[in-house]
Amino acid sequence: MTHRFSRRTWLRGAGVTMALPWMESLPVWGDEPSKSSQPGSEAPVRVGVLFAGNGFHAGHWWAKGSGSKMELGKVLEPVAEFREKMLFVGGLYNEQALKGNIHSSQTGNVLSGASLASGGDIVSGTSFDQVIARHYGRSTRVPSLVLGCERSNPGIHKNYSMLYSSHISWSSPTTPTPLELYPALAFDRLFKNRVQKGEQSVLDAVLGEASRFRRRVSRRDQQKLDEYLNSVREVEQRIEGAGRSGELQGWRPTLEKPNIPRPPNGIPQNIKDHMKLMCDLVVLAFQTDMTRVCTLKLNNDHSYLQFPHLGVEVGHHELSHSDRGKQSPDWMKVNHFFMQQYAYIARKLDAIQEGERTALDNSMLMMCSSMMSGIHDATKLPVVILGRGGGKLETGRVLGYHGKPNRKMCSLFLSLMEKCGVRMKAFGDSTEKLAEV
Amino acid sequence: MNLFSRRARLVVAVMIAFCLAGVGRCLAEDAKPFAKLDADYTKSVRPLLTRFCLGCHSTKKKVGELDLEQFTTLARVRKGTRSWLKVVEMLDNGEMPPKKSAQPDAAARKTIRDWVERYLSAEALARAGDPGPVVLRRLNNAEYTYTIRDLIGVPLSPAKEFPTEGAAGEGFTNTGNALVMSPALLRKYLDAGQKVARHAMLVPDGIRFSAGDSRRDWTDQLLSEIRSLYGRFTVTVKLHSHYNLPRMSHLGNAGQVPLEPYFAATLVDRKALTTGQVSVAEVARRRGLNARYLQRLWSELNQKDQSSLLAELARRWQQAKPGQEKELAEWVKGWQRGLWVFNPVGLIGKKGSRPRWMEAALPLLVEQELKLPIPAPKPKKEAKKKTADKDEKADGKTPATITVSLVVTDAGDGNTNDFVLLQKPRLVLKDKPDILLKDLLKPAREPQPKLPQGHRVLDASHFGKHPDGKAIDAASICVQAPSVIRIELPVEAAGGRELVTTIRLDARTGADGSAQVDLVSGIGQITAGLKASEVNVTYGKINIGADVRDVSFRNAVLVSESSPARSRFATAMTDHRSLFPAALCYTQIVPVDELLTLTLMYREDDHLVRLMLDTQQAARLETLWDQLIYVSREPLRHSDVLDSLLETTIDHPQQGIFDQMVKDVRKRTQRFRQRLKETEPQHLDAVIHLAERAWRRPLDFADRAALRGLYRKLRTLDLSHDAAIRMTLARVFVSSSFLYRLEESPVGETPAEVSGWELASRLSYFLWSTTPDDQLRQAAGSGRLSRRGPLLDQSRRLLSDPRVRRLATEFACQWIHVHDFDLNIKKSKKQFPEFTKLRGDMYEETIRFFADLFQHDRSLLGLLDSDHTFVNKRLGDFYGIPGLKGDGWRRVEGVRKYGRGGVLGLATTLATQSGATRTSPILRGNWISEVLLGERLPRPPKNVPQLADEVPVGLSERQLIERHSSDAACAKCHSRIDPFGFALEHYDAIGRRREKTAGGVAIDSKTTLPDGTKIDGVDGLRGYLLKQRREAFLRQFCRKLLGYALGRELQLSDRPLVDEMLKRLAGNKYRFSVAVETIVTSGQFRMIRGTPADRGKP
Repeated sequence: MTHRFSRRTWLRGAGVTMALPWMESLPVWGDEPSKSSQPGSEAPVRVGVLFAGNGFHAGHWWAKGSGSKMELGKVLEPVAEFREKMLFVGGLYNEQALKGNIHSSQTGNVLSGASLASGGDIVSGTSFDQVIARHYGRSTRVPSLVLGCERSNPGIHKNYSMLYSSHISWSSPTTPTPLELYPALAFDRLFKNRVQKGEQSVLDAVLGEASRFRRRVSRRDQQKLDEYLNSVREVEQRIEGAGRSGELQGWRPTLEKPNIPRPPNGIPQNIKDHMKLMCDLVVLAFQTDMTRVCTLKLNNDHSYLQFPHLGVEVGHHELSHSDRGKQSPDWMKVNHFFMQQYAYIARKLDAIQEGERTALDNSMLMMCSSMMSGIHDATKLPVVILGRGGGKLETGRVLGYHGKPNRKMCSLFLSLMEKCGVRMKAFGDSTEKLAEV
Repeated sequence: MNLFSRRARLVVAVMIAFCLAGVGRCLAEDAKPFAKLDADYTKSVRPLLTRFCLGCHSTKKKVGELDLEQFTTLARVRKGTRSWLKVVEMLDNGEMPPKKSAQPDAAARKTIRDWVERYLSAEALARAGDPGPVVLRRLNNAEYTYTIRDLIGVPLSPAKEFPTEGAAGEGFTNTGNALVMSPALLRKYLDAGQKVARHAMLVPDGIRFSAGDSRRDWTDQLLSEIRSLYGRFTVTVKLHSHYNLPRMSHLGNAGQVPLEPYFAATLVDRKALTTGQVSVAEVARRRGLNARYLQRLWSELNQKDQSSLLAELARRWQQAKPGQEKELAEWVKGWQRGLWVFNPVGLIGKKGSRPRWMEAALPLLVEQELKLPIPAPKPKKEAKKKTADKDEKADGKTPATITVSLVVTDAGDGNTNDFVLLQKPRLVLKDKPDILLKDLLKPAREPQPKLPQGHRVLDASHFGKHPDGKAIDAASICVQAPSVIRIELPVEAAGGRELVTTIRLDARTGADGSAQVDLVSGIGQITAGLKASEVNVTYGKINIGADVRDVSFRNAVLVSESSPARSRFATAMTDHRSLFPAALCYTQIVPVDELLTLTLMYREDDHLVRLMLDTQQAARLETLWDQLIYVSREPLRHSDVLDSLLETTIDHPQQGIFDQMVKDVRKRTQRFRQRLKETEPQHLDAVIHLAERAWRRPLDFADRAALRGLYRKLRTLDLSHDAAIRMTLARVFVSSSFLYRLEESPVGETPAEVSGWELASRLSYFLWSTTPDDQLRQAAGSGRLSRRGPLLDQSRRLLSDPRVRRLATEFACQWIHVHDFDLNIKKSKKQFPEFTKLRGDMYEETIRFFADLFQHDRSLLGLLDSDHTFVNKRLGDFYGIPGLKGDGWRRVEGVRKYGRGGVLGLATTLATQSGATRTSPILRGNWISEVLLGERLPRPPKNVPQLADEVPVGLSERQLIERHSSDAACAKCHSRIDPFGFALEHYDAIGRRREKTAGGVAIDSKTTLPDGTKIDGVDGLRGYLLKQRREAFLRQFCRKLLGYALGRELQLSDRPLVDEMLKRLAGNKYRFSVAVETIVTSGQFRMIRGTPADRGKP
C-alpha cells in the first residue's frame, strides 16, 4: 500500500485530478456503499436492464388488473407467470427523445434522459445503471456488466451518430460504455484472475507518461485523456484486488464459482444461442455477486438482426415497420422471442433461493425499448419491471401514467436508484420520483 | 514545450500560411462587411424575426432547441453561428414558419434568407482556415491494427475482439468523440499488447517480429528462411532416393545446382556471349540464373588447356546444340557419383566419425579387388536365366557354363603402359577352399572361335605370362588395355560362389599407365574414352561406437603410386569437384531422419557461398544462421541432449570416443550463455527504437529513462530477461502516446502549426490509416514537411502506394455506408441463397474500385460514370458479364452495358439500401439524396403508415411505395427521394439486374425527379447527377473527404476551403489528388487551435 500512496502523491503533484470526471456533474447523496455489506445485512439489490430496439407490437403491449388477476397483452405472454412479481409501467417518456430526429436520437438517452448532441458530436448523459454501478463501486469485482448481442453500426443517421442507436449505457456524458459481444470475454471479465507478473508496473508507467503529456494538450484533449487515465487506474485497482479474496462481510452469494463452463470463443452463429449465453451470464454474475448491475442490449435500435430459427428472414428494423394493420404475425414471433429472453433470466433468478427470498425478489429487472413501436413513437415507452427490489418494490401492479404531469422515465430512474441506496435530487429531465413506485 | 519556441514556430507558421492557397485570409479580418450586416440586421431582419419567429423561438420557449431572441445584436449573432445554419435549412426546406402560423411574404422571406446567406458567407471567410475543435483521437480498431501490422511487419489481428466503434463528425469512425476508453477496453489493450509482444523474436542484435509466438515457431520460421535462401540457388533433392543408397543411411536433403538451365543458357546464347553482344550477367538476369555461377561455368567451358575431365566436358559442349543441355548435365552428374560421398551427420564430432556430410571421394586406385557373385543354378525350368548361357541346351536344361567378362579399358588417354595384372582370379565360398581359375579352366578350345578385336576367351594358356612373354605369377594373368577377357565358368563348380580377383598395374611395364577394369556378367564390350567412376558406400550398423563404412568403386582409375598419370587424374578430378560439387548445401539442416543423432542442427553450405553468393547474400546467410542458433538456443539444447545420451550409455564401453565432443559442447554452451547475457542490452535498445516509431515522435530523455527503468523494475520482480522485454513491449503498445494521436496545443487563443511529427501522423493516418513510414518520418524529422513542396511530394507518394486501399476501405466505404458490408448485410436465405457467398466479393469490388481511383489519381466523375469495374469470376457471372475465365480479380472494361460502373452500379450500395426480401426505392432514394448529394430531409411525420414487409401479390415494390407516398403528409419528402430510387428498380435487393419483380411485374424505371427532370433507369440517373447535380455531388464528396481528414464535423469556416477544392477540381479534370492536396496544404489540416493559459490546473 505504501507503493500506491506514493504514486498517488506523485500524480497529484503532476496536476492530475483524482476525481472521476463522470461523477463531477452528478450530485449524489447516498448511503455509503459499505453499509449494505455490514454484518447481518440483507442480499443486495441487483439491477438488470434489458433493451430491445425498434419497440414492440404496440396494440398488444398492455396490462390491467393486479396481482394474480392481472391481464396481459399478447406480447407479454412469455412473462405472464411472473405477474405477481411484475410492475407494469405505462405511459412514460423522455422529453429529450422527442426533440431530435428518429432512431438514434431517441435511443442514446433512453436510460439517462439527457439531451443528445447532433451533427458530428457525441454527448449524452450518464445512464442510471452506471450511476448505480458507481455507487456500488468496489463492493463487487466488476462494477457493471454491459453486454450486447449485435455489433454496432458506424455511421450517422439523420444527423445523429448511430452510436446512439447501439449504446444505452453511458459511463459519462461523453463515454458510451463499450459493449461486450463475446460471451467468453464477458465470462473472463467476471471470473478470470489473469494477472501477469509486472502488469502493475506497466500500468504505473503508462500512467506516469500520460500524466506528463496531459499538461501539453488542450483542455478538451485533457478530458479525453482523463478517460484513459481513469481506465488505467481502474484496471490497476482490479489487478491489486485480484489477489485478495472475499472481504465481504455478512451476506454471501449462494455461488462462489461459476457453475457453467466458459463459453466457447467467438460469437455464436445463431442469435438464439448468443442471447441465451448472455442471459446465462447475467444470472451467473448476479448469483456469484461478481456484479450487481447488468445491462443487456438484446439488439440495436435500427437493428439488422434476422431470426431464421423462427422462420423470419426479414430484418428486425424492417419488420418493425409492419406493425400497423397486424399484417405480420412474424413481428409477434420476434416480440415473443425477446420477451422469452427476459422470462428466461427471471425464471433462473427465481429458482435461486437467497435466504427467505429468491434472487429475482432481490432484483429489479427492467425490459424497455426506446419507442413504443416501429413507427418511432417515443411519446410513451414500453417499460416493465420484474422482481421486488429486495422487498422495496411493490409488484403485481399496473401503473399508467399517460396524461399525468409527472411521467418522465427519469422519474422512474430516480425511484429505482433510491431502492439501491442512491438518492439524487435530480436526474436527467426529472426532479421528482414516481410516487407510486 | 517552451513558450518562446512555440511563438517562434507560430511566426514561421504565419509566413508559410501566406504561401498556401486560401489560408492567408484567416489572419486579417475585413471589418467592412460586418458593419453593413450589422446595420441591415437591426434595420430589417430583426423586426421580421420578432414578427414571425420569436413567438416560438424565444429564450423562454426555445422550441426545437432554437432561441432566436438572444440574438439582439450582430455581435451575439456571431457567437451562435450554428443556429443560423439551422435557420437556412428550415427556410430552404419550407418547414418554417409552420403552415398554421402567420407567413412572411416573398419579399420578407427573401430579406431574411439573403441576409443570412450574406452573413454566413462573411462569417465563413472571416473564420476561414480555423483548425476547429478536434477531439483527441484514439486509434480506432482499423488504425490500431494497421499500425501494429506496419510496425512489426506481421499481419496480426489484435483488435479482432474489440468492441465495434461508432462514428461521429462527418460520419467516420476516426473521429475523437466516438473513440471512447473504458476499463474493460483498456484491459483488452493491455492483453493485446502482451499478445503482440509474444510475437517478438529476440535475435542477437535486436528484435524481429514473427507470425509465430513460440520458440518452436520461430525456429521453424528461421529454418524456412534459410531453406528458402538456399532454394533461390539450388534445387533440393532427397539423397536417399537420388543416390540409391542403402536403406538405413538417411543422408538428408541436398541443395544441388540445377545444371540443365545453366548449360542451356551457354548453348542458346553461346554466340551472343562469345561475340560480347550480351553479358553473362544479362543472360543470367533474363533466365533467372545465378550470375556468378554462370560466369564461372562460361569461363571454364571456354578455357583452353583444361585438365582432362573439364576438357572432355568442353569438347562435348563445343559439339552440343541447344536442347542437348540434358546430355551435358548427365555427363557431369555421372562423375559426381564417383567424386563425392555423403555421410550421416548425426554423430559428427564423435571420435572416429567422418568430419563432414559431403566429402570428396578419389576413385584413383593402385590396387582394387573386383568381385562378382555367380548365381547358383535354379532348380526350376522356368527360372532359367537368359543371360550368359550361350550353351543352353535345346531341352531347356540348365546350361553347363556361365559367361562373365573382365573389361579392361585405357581410361581415355591411350594404352601406352596400360598393362593390368589380374591377380589370382578365383572362386570363393565361405568355409570352403578357394578354386583358382587356373586350375578350373581347360586348355584353349580348338579351333579358336572368331572373336572381335581385343576379345579373348580365358583358358589355361593365358596364365603366368605377360603379353611380352615374360613370366608372371603362375595363377595370374596380365593384359594390355583395351581388352575383354571372357570367362566361361562351369556352372557346377562356380554356381553360388563369388569370382574374385585383385587387380593392379604391372609394376614393370605399367608404372605410368592408367586403366579401368570392370567385371561384368555376360559378354563385355570395349568402350572408348574414360568411363565415369562410381562410388558405392555401404554403412554397417550405425551405433554410438565406431562407424562401419565400406567404400568401393566401380570404374575406378587404376594407376601406380605417385605416378605422373596419378597426378594428372587427381588434378582433373579436383577441377571437376571444384566446379560441380554434388551438393551446394545441406538443406536438411535438422537431421531428423537419421537413426541416431546428437546433432540438432547442421550447417554445410560452403560450396554455395563459394560459388554463388555475393557479399550481401553471404552476410544475410550468416545472420540467419546466427539467429537460428540464437533463437533456438541450440547450444543449450545440444548440451542437454548430450547429457541424456551420456546417461543412457553410462554402462556401455565408450573408449572415450565422446570425451572431446563433451569438452567442445560444454565450451560452446558456456560461450553461448555468456552471449545471451551480453546481448540483453540490444533488446532493450530495440524496444526503445520501436517505441520511437510507435509513439510517432522522438523520445526525450525522460521517455528513455522510463522505459529502461521499467525494464529494470520488472527484472527486480523476478521476471526473466525475455519476459521483462515482452512486458516492456506491451507497455509501449498500451501507452497513451501509442493509442492516442496526442498533439500539443499552443498556449493562447491563436492557432499554431502542428509539429512536423504531428503533421506526418495526420498525413499518414489520413491516407494510409497507419503510422508514418520511414520516408515520412525522415521528412518530419528534418523539418522539411512543413514546406509546401515536400508536403505535397509526400502526399503524392502516399497516394500512389497500394496502401491507399485503406483510404478506400475506411473513408469511401464509410461514406457510401457499405463499411463491413461482408459482416453486416444479411438477406433472406430463402429468396437469395447465393448472397452469403457473394457478399465478400461484392465488398472487395467496392474496395478495389475506390482504391484504383485513388491510387491512379482518376477523375472523381468516375465515381459516377466509370465504364469499368473489378470482378472475380463469381461476381462477374452474377453481373452477367460474359467470357470470364479463371478465378482471380481483374479489371473489366465496358461494363456499363451490364448496368455496372461507378457507385450506382455497385452491388454493395444497391443491396445495403434494400430490405432483406425486397428492394426499397425509399432507402435508395434517401441514400442518393443524403449520401451522394448531401441534402438534409426533414424529420418524418409521426405515425407514418407502414409498408408490408413482403410485396402484396400483383404489385411491384414501386407501386407499393407509390400508394404509401400518395398520403399528403408523406408526399412532401417522398416526392424528393422516391424518384431517385425508382430509377434503380432494375436492380433487385442484392443488386442483380432484373426486368421483372419477384412477383412477375414488369419493372418501370421511368421517373420524374424533384426538379421536374424526367429520366429513365440508372443511365438517366447517372446523366442527371453528372450534369444537373455535378456541383452538389462533388461538394458532398469534398465535405466528406475533408471531414474524414480532419476527424471532425465541418463547420461554417470550412466552407471557403470546400469552395477552393471545387474550384481546383474543376480546373484539373477532377483528379482526386487535387482534392487531397488542397486539404493537406490547408490551415485546417496543418494547424491546431490554441488553448487558454490556465490549462493543466485541476
